[in-house]
Amino acid sequence: MRVALAISSFVALIIHGIVFYDQFFHQWEDHQTAYFEQARGLATKDAERAALEGRRPRIEQIIVTQFGEARVDRCTTCHIAIDDPRFKAHAEPLRTHPNSEALGDTFVNGRWERRHKFSDFGCTVCHDGQGRGLETFYAHGEDHFWPEPLLGYTTQETWRAEFKPKLLGKEFMQANCAQCHTEENFKSTPLVSRGRQLFFEKNCYGCHRIEGMSTGTLGPDLTEVGKKFKLDYLWESIVEPRANSAVSSMPKFNLSDEDVKSLVVFLKSRRGMNFAETSLERYRARIRESKVEPATQPTTEVAGVSAAARGERLINERACAACHKIGDRDGGIAPDLSFEGLLRDESWLMDHFRDPRSRVPDSIMPAFGFSDSEFLSMTQYLKSLTTPPPTATPAEAYKNLCARCHGEKGDGHGLIALYLDPYPRDLTKVAFMNSKPEERFIMSIKEGVPGTSMPAWGKVLNDAQIRDLLNYIWQTFVREPRRELKARNVPAHNPVAMSGESVARGERIYLQRCTGCHGRKADGKGPNSLDILPRPRNLRNRDFINSVSDRRLFDAIMYGVQGTAMPPWIDYGLSQNDVGDLVNYLRSLNQTN
Amino acid sequence: MSMTKKAIHKPTAAEDELTTRRRFLTWLSGVGLVGSAIISIFSNLIFIKPRATYGEPNRFPIGRPEEFPPGTRISIDDKRVCIVREGNRLAAISTTCTHLGCIVAASETGFACPCHGSRFDQDGNVTGGPAPKPLPWYQVNLAPNGELEVDKDTEVPPGTYITV
Ligand code: FES
Repeated sequence: MRVALAISSFVALIIHGIVFYDQFFHQWEDHQTAYFEQARGLATKDAERAALEGRRPRIEQIIVTQFGEARVDRCTTCHIAIDDPRFKAHAEPLRTHPNSEALGDTFVNGRWERRHKFSDFGCTVCHDGQGRGLETFYAHGEDHFWPEPLLGYTTQETWRAEFKPKLLGKEFMQANCAQCHTEENFKSTPLVSRGRQLFFEKNCYGCHRIEGMSTGTLGPDLTEVGKKFKLDYLWESIVEPRANSAVSSMPKFNLSDEDVKSLVVFLKSRRGMNFAETSLERYRARIRESKVEPATQPTTEVAGVSAAARGERLINERACAACHKIGDRDGGIAPDLSFEGLLRDESWLMDHFRDPRSRVPDSIMPAFGFSDSEFLSMTQYLKSLTTPPPTATPAEAYKNLCARCHGEKGDGHGLIALYLDPYPRDLTKVAFMNSKPEERFIMSIKEGVPGTSMPAWGKVLNDAQIRDLLNYIWQTFVREPRRELKARNVPAHNPVAMSGESVARGERIYLQRCTGCHGRKADGKGPNSLDILPRPRNLRNRDFINSVSDRRLFDAIMYGVQGTAMPPWIDYGLSQNDVGDLVNYLRSLNQTN
Repeated sequence: MSMTKKAIHKPTAAEDELTTRRRFLTWLSGVGLVGSAIISIFSNLIFIKPRATYGEPNRFPIGRPEEFPPGTRISIDDKRVCIVREGNRLAAISTTCTHLGCIVAASETGFACPCHGSRFDQDGNVTGGPAPKPLPWYQVNLAPNGELEVDKDTEVPPGTYITV
């Protein structure tokens, strides 16, 4: 009993002692004591000596009120010699902050005059870090939960190890210079300028929005990206777009480390607020933004260069190959353009450039706001690409023309299939392949499927080759002899006349039977659509619907589409007249006005 | 035999050891408890005064001596000090009235308080009104970067100037 009491009270004493020591003896006190001692030794004037007289360690604190929320900066508690020119050669933390013209400092009468005085700016405005922290780990923001670690000097404990060395260096601080110095080519922030240039050069702006700069909607809005993410996340998102979302459609740009760094610094500088602007100026800028054309990089005209050559340069400069395949460059996201001149005509290309969704309604390609003359040049260049890939054998033809979308195994999971809507057909689905007449496959190959990415291969292959290709598909993927088609009772033309009443009846049936998959808007995005592959048709894909005959619509609705989730509706009590109403309703949705 | 032995009790070596042990344990508990108590009292005493508050810092730079040419008498209102320079001597006088804390304004004769009419001479001594004490003078330092620094935590006797 006595032993226990003795031991526990002694332990209590020790714990008390440790807590006391921990709370009241600090490393910063040692730094300050060391500073006072050395400064006393360095003092030459009485005034200097007097200033040190009676100074005892204490928490130094600068309160900065000018930049957003008031900041409390206690950095000078350790970095106490920061403004003492005599400590230039000392080791951190007792080192003078360097002076330089790049920082805006001026050299007058033999001494440096600071442009950014610590009493006004503090430290964290430029450096980031946690101003209130009094221990290195917290003050420098190494703590994983602190959103803004010291820029370019500290990386956090949990940051990806392989990126760490790349994230160090004072150049990263340019991101914070750009909080106030927003001029486009401010000479002290070359990386921000370079990053901005890359943002346009690599077409990032086509997908991403940055307030006042670009209006892309495909990718995340980057207006405040610098506030939300740390350096390593930005770096990772650029070099490995799939790191955070497995289905990200952002291309891998394979940039040099230097370029990635510029982009990271540029993005880090996007914090959605700009200390140099008042909120009124921001408001005005937003109003202006809604009026201006999307920003494009001016391309200098070179005299004597043909339109096609200029187009080729534009296509290279704008990193089209980051998504598309052109020759031996392949972004692995969008269709092969290597022989586009054979597949598409000028008006298709121009329409598609101006607004990709005018030709492929569910295309994810952004509408880049280039000038018409630039589009024309690019069209001319694509039109000049008329060398077909080798298609001597059907296997070769399949590999070169079909596999990119339909996949090596014919299962519809080609390299770029993920980005296509509608999804490429699964050619191994026997039920589907056997439910359609051979002629229909021939037509789809030959003429393409309007409103989708399937081009008209009849411009590359002759009829015999198309037949051979279809046979090859049958032998390789379907692997079953063709079955006889059962005769179906399908009218060639809609027997129900188009009328307001018929459309209204059709709509009622549509709402009851079809919305689950095809959606209320008939855009193919109904609540069930997520679980179904191939996805339900977008019934507002005008080009597609208008290219499909009444017979085919009746066939699909009444007898279903084998190998998909579309059931035969005659089994569920729809009469031919009901289907006629439905067809009228669908046609009415897609009428060109 | 054994009775007599018990009557005159002579501590054996083992018993001796027990007593020392007891003493030691008592001593240990005592030191532990009293020590803890003392440390707690100290901690609490130190804790009472905050180490840092979020108010404006009391030591602040005001600029280079050249910015205050000889003859200057200028009030920095948001910092509540008046910088006085005569020749190459310089000082900082508080402009917070010692009555109820209004900001006094520099006047012909020194300082005047707008609230209840206290008057002070050039050196901050009370010449009239309810103010009970003269205006304090603060220490001015020449910081290593060549700027002047006023330290409102340190009062100096009136008439203390630094040479710049
Ligand atoms: S506060 Fe100055 S006179 Fe009362």
